[in-house]
Amino acid sequence: MAEPHTVSAHASGGRATVKTYVNVAIILGIITAIEVTTLYVPGIPNVLLVSSLLAMSVVKFFLVVGFFMHLKYDSGIMRALFVGPLIIAICIILAMMALFSAYILLPRVVL
Amino acid sequence: MADHALAHAAHDPNLGNTGLDHRKMGMWIFLGSDCMFFGSLIGTYLSYKGKSLSGPGPHDVFNIPLTSYSAALLLASSLFMVLALARLQEHRIRAAAFWLFATALFGLHFVLNQVYEFTTFALHEGLKLSTNLFGSSFFVLTGFHGAHVTGGVIWLSILMVLALRGKIDARDYTKVEIAGLYWHFVDIVWVAIFTIIYLIP
Repeated sequence: MAEPHTVSAHASGGRATVKTYVNVAIILGIITAIEVTTLYVPGIPNVLLVSSLLAMSVVKFFLVVGFFMHLKYDSGIMRALFVGPLIIAICIILAMMALFSAYILLPRVVL
Repeated sequence: MADHALAHAAHDPNLGNTGLDHRKMGMWIFLGSDCMFFGSLIGTYLSYKGKSLSGPGPHDVFNIPLTSYSAALLLASSLFMVLALARLQEHRIRAAAFWLFATALFGLHFVLNQVYEFTTFALHEGLKLSTNLFGSSFFVLTGFHGAHVTGGVIWLSILMVLALRGKIDARDYTKVEIAGLYWHFVDIVWVAIFTIIYLIP
């Protein structure tokens, strides 16, 4: 049960404070509110709507990973273990979309 | 540096040659592989998008206000999770148990919302797993995410009970941190699903 070395390592690890966590949560809440509101604003071009939604999603993703999952403060090995497969996952999504001619950002060109 | 890491590892069986906790490293490897799993499911959903031969389609069934509420629940639960860790580090075990309870409760609420959503789709909208391409890719993707959330709720509930029974203290920080990593991962997967599946027209 006891892991004295582990807790001492964390205590000196320079982690985020509770205030930082709360600030990050507030930012996440604001971005989510903007995302949902954007959906109900008429007249936004599709390319702008999709790209802004994706951008906000990416910001939320990295805020959670960096601060809540402590990856910002963790070892480079841990970072590589997560970011490497994440890049592969993004490649899988893009490859499948290309294979099946599925475009979410650009309008389809009909020849 | 390497000698120091090896000497440190000799004292703690959980530390490997790199000086890093191998349980935590194992969790990051698992999360990396889970990224690829969800990447495949999201890729499949996007590939099938708009290719169903019959309805209903996404905009016939989606309830954006309910899903937004569910997204807020998961984001709040992520905050509660880090608060539980912070309290554990301060040796405030009962406060940590409270935040673990709050995290699990919000997670359970999310799962119940998903059960309601799935039931509504199946019974009132006529959308089932085998109805069309949208139904199969949507239910498989969000269903696997829901299963992950359910697993997380069970894990956090066990940790909460152990904390209340005095079987977890500040020295068990890494055990709770690993559960937290899993929980936050479930949250970021939902961040992606919420935008790509529900919000993008």
